[in-house]
Amino acid sequence: MISLTINNQTLEVPDGSTVLQAAEMAGIAIPTLCFHKDLSPYGGCRLCVVEVQGTRLPMTSCILPINPGMVVNTESEALTRYRKAILRMLLQNYYDAGYKRNNGKLGIDRENELAHWAEVYGIDIEQYMAKKPAFAVDSDPNPFVWVDLNKCIQCTRCVRACAEIQGRFVWSQSYRGYKARIVAGSDTTMLQARCESCGACVAYCPTGALDNKMSVSAGLADRLVRTTCAYCGVGCQLDLNVQDNVPGRRVIRVTSNTDPATVNKRHLCLKGRYGYDFIHSSTRLTQPRVRQYLLDSAPRPKDRGKWVDVDWETALRVAANGLVQAWQAGGSDAIGILGSGNLLNEESYLLGKLARQVIGTNQIDCCAHIYASDLSEHLLDAAGIPAMQNPFDEIASKAGTLLVIGSNLTEQHPVFGAKIRQAILRRKIKMVVVSPDFFNIAEYAALPLYPKPNTEAILVQGLIHFILEKHLADHAKCQMGSEDITKLKEAVAKYSARKTSDLTGVAIDALYEAAEILTREPPLSVIMSDGLADRTVARQNMQSLINLQRLLGSLDTPGGGVNFLGSQNNIRGAGDLGSTPNRLPGYQNCKNSTARAKFEQAWGVALSSAPGLSAWDMLKSVSEGKVKALYIAGEDALNVSPDGGQARRSLDACEFVVYQTSVATETARYADVLLPGVTFAEKTGSFTNAERRIQMVHQAIEPIGAASPDWQIFKELAKRILPSIERQISPAAYSNWDYTDTAEIMQEIAALTPIYYGVSHSRLDQAGSLFWPVESEEHPGTTFLQTAYFEPIQNTFIPIKLIVPEGYQTPILTPV
Amino acid sequence: MCPGIATDHEYSEQELDRIIQEAVEANGSVRDAVIPILSEINQKLGFIPVESLGKIRRYINTPEAGLFLADSHLYAVASFYQMFSLTPTGKHVVRYCASAPCHVEGGRQVIEALQEQLGLQPGETSHDNQWTLLKTSCLGVCGVGPVFLVDQDIYGNVTPEKIPHILAKYR
Ligand code: SF4
Ligand code: SF4
Ligand code: FES
Ligand code: FES
Repeated sequence: MISLTINNQTLEVPDGSTVLQAAEMAGIAIPTLCFHKDLSPYGGCRLCVVEVQGTRLPMTSCILPINPGMVVNTESEALTRYRKAILRMLLQNYYDAGYKRNNGKLGIDRENELAHWAEVYGIDIEQYMAKKPAFAVDSDPNPFVWVDLNKCIQCTRCVRACAEIQGRFVWSQSYRGYKARIVAGSDTTMLQARCESCGACVAYCPTGALDNKMSVSAGLADRLVRTTCAYCGVGCQLDLNVQDNVPGRRVIRVTSNTDPATVNKRHLCLKGRYGYDFIHSSTRLTQPRVRQYLLDSAPRPKDRGKWVDVDWETALRVAANGLVQAWQAGGSDAIGILGSGNLLNEESYLLGKLARQVIGTNQIDCCAHIYASDLSEHLLDAAGIPAMQNPFDEIASKAGTLLVIGSNLTEQHPVFGAKIRQAILRRKIKMVVVSPDFFNIAEYAALPLYPKPNTEAILVQGLIHFILEKHLADHAKCQMGSEDITKLKEAVAKYSARKTSDLTGVAIDALYEAAEILTREPPLSVIMSDGLADRTVARQNMQSLINLQRLLGSLDTPGGGVNFLGSQNNIRGAGDLGSTPNRLPGYQNCKNSTARAKFEQAWGVALSSAPGLSAWDMLKSVSEGKVKALYIAGEDALNVSPDGGQARRSLDACEFVVYQTSVATETARYADVLLPGVTFAEKTGSFTNAERRIQMVHQAIEPIGAASPDWQIFKELAKRILPSIERQISPAAYSNWDYTDTAEIMQEIAALTPIYYGVSHSRLDQAGSLFWPVESEEHPGTTFLQTAYFEPIQNTFIPIKLIVPEGYQTPILTPV
Repeated sequence: MCPGIATDHEYSEQELDRIIQEAVEANGSVRDAVIPILSEINQKLGFIPVESLGKIRRYINTPEAGLFLADSHLYAVASFYQMFSLTPTGKHVVRYCASAPCHVEGGRQVIEALQEQLGLQPGETSHDNQWTLLKTSCLGVCGVGPVFLVDQDIYGNVTPEKIPHILAKYR
């Protein structure tokens, strides 16, 4: 600690603090422009000047280290004069063409930080700014980022944001003297200069020289609604900017906020910041629809016939009738339910309750699992947990080495990808990237490996073989018993470097190098995603990675682990809350009678112990006539894979399809009833991100047209199915469907789901987020999840078997 | 006349690759090598073709060692120094010192004479690609001002009368 006096106030601050930081700790505000606390200091604008006793000239406080006993003054007439002079100088090279909307009229920008300080110091922008533009006002063709160098004051915040946050290094300050300006790449367009359109530079620009192109003249928001992004499992927090009393579009832009408690702080990616069009898209479904034949009680035409817009009552009645008929014809398992990793937690829970309590089946899965195998399930089998062990920041700050496998990290989970880039640059850690194709993250890899598709498990076997042979694993850390090591050795014996190289197509040298990199600096953190989810090999992929991590002792180590990031924003929550064919909420197995008993008691009905079919098998058994009706909620079943052949055939063959969606996509062609759900901007509830972090989603606007929050549709549908289905449901604590809001549903979830025990909307609103397991109302949540949390681990070694069927180009792995 | 200066700005891709490769070999693939490598190109070709930046980056960029070098970094350096040119120059480049000490010693007359005799404004290149006239700041030899450079050769105590003789050496 070091002491100093600021404005007659003496205080102690940590060593290495700057005067600006000390002032902030003392609650004293100093004007700044080029400084931002998320970025490295630059000291370019000089607005932050202060007087220091014993120095002749004012000093820039943002880069001024503290000497013991320093006496600082932050306000004086001289300083005010000085700051005014600086602002006038900055304005000389600032020209505002007047395209900002204020109270409906276009005019100059009064909202940016420079304008703010000009106002504070009583400087009239229009009087002092340049008289004519020096650059084209909108000078870059980037579709999302607006560039107006006339407003640039060369603070270099954009340069630093792109380098230190997004890791793309698009901007530099080039040229010199009065010609100096901000340049993209080698003076090209932003996109040619590697820009990923994340908008970080926009978020940090203090003058609006960089702005959001789609909404540059849209004016100010009436309200900011903090919510969770609906695109990926990173779960960034963002502010929907809403204008009330405007016809048509009302979410006018998305902004981010510097809140240190969130995953992303001010960072967002292209999708989260600029992909909000879909909310007001003209393709939104705004009215329920049923096919004409259903209204006429006529037989179904081959192409299902004409659509008719109907009211909710009719649509719900028709949907309920169709499902009940399938139930009567083929029993509970004649109905298949496809949920989605896009639904709210509360909605996934209700959909599961609809399947299990109302219909009596476990036949529910996520659309994402039509093509991709459920890697969470394999992770549960292999390690006793379904989700990531580590928070993102723990991986970025503690991993010794990274193995990114089957993940297009910077596109699938961009904000986490950017954190990994920074970890590599700042901590100089090494990364091996394994994928059949080039992925952008490989640019930062010490070694990229490109195995043939679906040979990743073999590659890992080969690596284990080599690590054992060369004694590269640290004995003291190994998390396998010696017997298991012997078994592992036998199991991988046939994957010599030569054999592995032949099978995977990866050169022997590269295998050696990879093994060395992966073992040099523990802990190893494995980051993986759906690239490993091909159903033929998903299980083996997961098992071999768990074996590797046990051998290296990197499981159950902060910064290590096998970290699986699913493909959809709330695929975690959907799995957590029962959108799987074999698990009740909280990963309680449907075969476990104690777990079942709890739900039977709560829901007032006997539950099926038979696991349902997975999404893929569900669709296949449609063709066999076993599944007669499908209820697809929240997702486009045909759009989850490049090859929709099987799904198309199954949907076409299905007797009755109810499709609930916010946008009518191709799947609608095969539906008999269309129920308009809403986007995340139109409902309140929660999402759980890949790190197990539960966060609130807040409603920003009223549902568009007649669309309705999905949970309300589930509730109304359940109420219409219940009376006509012959199931004995007796009154019980949670047998009814009278929810008034999602907070009430969360209470029910908490009561029945151990990992969500302590979760409530009020707590989430207060804390910002909670990592499950949250074991009680006082429990702070669990940032690090130990393996075997849900299920005991039988063996520390998992045997994996390789078979090469005749005629196959690529070897196929099957479980033992 | 200084050997090694390219005679015109035609160059082949292979030539550029070779220059960069040799410069990297001589200076190492480290961040500090950027300026020597850029000078080497500038000297050999008379300017720095913008595509060299991507080529240099590929040698030096080592994110796994904590160093990420993008075109933007290299462009910032190449555009900052007046000794580098990002556009093709003529066969000979005349750079006159425009700083105050030279100026007060009669620099202004020298500049005017240069402009007149070459028929060029600062920053321009003659149509026959023979001459480029550039302005530079203090060359550190103020004692013999006014001063100008032709390619790598430095001329001090110049007067308007001496200019035709100096230029004739390069015609
Ligand atoms: S939008 Fe993102 S990637 Fe593009 S220049 Fe700005 S910070 Fe860099
Ligand atoms: S564009 Fe904005 S952030 Fe970048 S230097 Fe100019 S004023 Fe600063
Ligand atoms: S804020 Fe300190 S110099 Fe700009
Ligand atoms: S001022 Fe011309 S050389 Fe120094």
